[in-house]
Amino acid sequence: MIAPRTTLALLLFAPLAFFAAFFLAPMAVVALASFTTDEGGLTFAHYARILLDQYHWDVLWVTFRIALATTALCLLIGFPLAWYLVRIVRWRSWRRACVILIVVPLFTSNIVRSFGWMVLLGRTGLVNQGLMGMGLTERPIRFLGTETGILIGMVYILMPFVVLSVGNALAKIDTALEDASADLGVGPARTFWFVTLPLCLPGAVSGAIMVFALAVSAYVTPALLSGGQITVFSMLIFQQYSSVFDFHYGGALSVTLLVLTLVLVTLAGRVGERGRRAA
Amino acid sequence: MARLPGLVTASALALAAAIAPASAQEALHVAWYGGNWGDAFKACVADPFTKATGVAVVPEVGTSTVTLAKLQQQKDAPTIDVAWMDGGVSELAEAAGVLAPITEKGVPNLKDALPQAVYSNANGTYAVGTGYYSLGLTYNTKEIPQAPTSWNDLWKPEYADAVTIPSPANSSGVPFLFFLHKIWNAPAGDFAPVFAKIKELKPALFFDSSGAASNAFQSSEAIIGAHFNVGAFDLAAKGLPIGFTVPKEGVWATDARLHLVKNAPRAEMAQKFIDTALTPAASQCLAEKLFLGPSVKGVNVSPETAAKLPWGAKGSVETLYLLNWTEVNAKRAELVDTWNREIARK
Repeated sequence: MIAPRTTLALLLFAPLAFFAAFFLAPMAVVALASFTTDEGGLTFAHYARILLDQYHWDVLWVTFRIALATTALCLLIGFPLAWYLVRIVRWRSWRRACVILIVVPLFTSNIVRSFGWMVLLGRTGLVNQGLMGMGLTERPIRFLGTETGILIGMVYILMPFVVLSVGNALAKIDTALEDASADLGVGPARTFWFVTLPLCLPGAVSGAIMVFALAVSAYVTPALLSGGQITVFSMLIFQQYSSVFDFHYGGALSVTLLVLTLVLVTLAGRVGERGRRAA
Repeated sequence: MARLPGLVTASALALAAAIAPASAQEALHVAWYGGNWGDAFKACVADPFTKATGVAVVPEVGTSTVTLAKLQQQKDAPTIDVAWMDGGVSELAEAAGVLAPITEKGVPNLKDALPQAVYSNANGTYAVGTGYYSLGLTYNTKEIPQAPTSWNDLWKPEYADAVTIPSPANSSGVPFLFFLHKIWNAPAGDFAPVFAKIKELKPALFFDSSGAASNAFQSSEAIIGAHFNVGAFDLAAKGLPIGFTVPKEGVWATDARLHLVKNAPRAEMAQKFIDTALTPAASQCLAEKLFLGPSVKGVNVSPETAAKLPWGAKGSVETLYLLNWTEVNAKRAELVDTWNREIARK
């Protein structure tokens, strides 16, 4: 019989090796390239080029602005949806059908879904045809190539993450707590605000962090829906790797985005932590 | 977003390939592009090659840049024998030292290639073209019944918000800037007039992939703009009202080139494969399937296909604007940077 410790080591080895080979190693290659010159010497020039240039900060601001707006909208729309699924739907198979409807798009490639939005949001697309048909607008509204267009695509693609994580948190809440609150003479609005909302805050925060991280690093959706007229940071990275072939500068861009995102996500995590403690 | 699962699958496949038994060694590993390009390379070159030699061909699908990255990674122990890469990346591959010279001794059909399609330097021939394609004026024939005659038509007010040209993320983006620089007679080395004019353009989109361009034309988001003859005629073949024309200023073109990998494990078969690609039959097949302009002498194509070749109905390889890629590659980073700052922000 194998000692439990050996079994544990063996069980841990496979995922650790996998993680090291396919996650840490590529990351190290990128990071290493960002600190070296073509000749292999150590340099911080690529970072200086990024951080000392207002242009890069402008693009970062656009990137984070879109990601923040995406996160806010996903929460705003995802929360009621999760509420509906967990609290309002009584019929079990209908709930199951709804969950499937929410999850299924995740199985489709981003590219296909973004192309779909290109068709829907285009000059002659369904959305503009509808708006013009209802007489709401005379000329087609420009969605493609605007931040609004990117936002629509991103919210659609990332919403399931919020619905699933908030729904999960909502389902775990002991409704006796809300009954107790009502028994003590507190109205439904205040019960929601002081009891229910704080209890599902961890779920909302984890959903928001997922959405934010994915939105900051998203390439396909912004690239297709921006029509090349708005630049987000991931597009700068892609350019360097795909057409300029400057892996040093591209690596430095990647590390910059990664570090800034981690900083923001950590801050958000702190906020979530404080919210949970307050609750 | 869907990147992670993709990475995991790719990694798993790579792992599987790495531990695959050595018996698979007999097959020739050829790097080529995805989609209809890969299908055509298989039908026109790989299948005839396998039929003649009995050697199977294992495709390594990827864009030119991905292939170059692979070749650089496996420089010491290559697994790829032959690689298709586009003009521009081809020069970078040669500079990276991952290519072996192609000789008439190993590839007898090299003598039948057009002189423009044989790329040589002091080390010998590092690449040979297997067909030209161009970025021409593409338009919606329903919206624009009369074929446009000049690239300057893109700036016409009636096409405002319905124009598309490549962005620098596309392999044709930077070359297209060189092409505009040339047709507008801008002062040597000065791209400011080109950018000033592009700034005045009212685009529907700057496409970063050929697929995005096709999609834009298909949905009428763009009704006029630049697109590859390969993509434009592919849309037309599906019954869409899409026309492709070579305007009076001409078109910029490049080619898909074959390369022999340095220290290729199956060098002899690799040369035979390149030899097969340089036969008139293969070249004609690529012309019929992808509308690639033949780079081999003595190829006859049907009149129907002839009109769809990169140089248009009346042109030839002589009328194409082919780039000096060393010049382009030297200016690439600077032009992409200027584009980002001047054009790709609102």
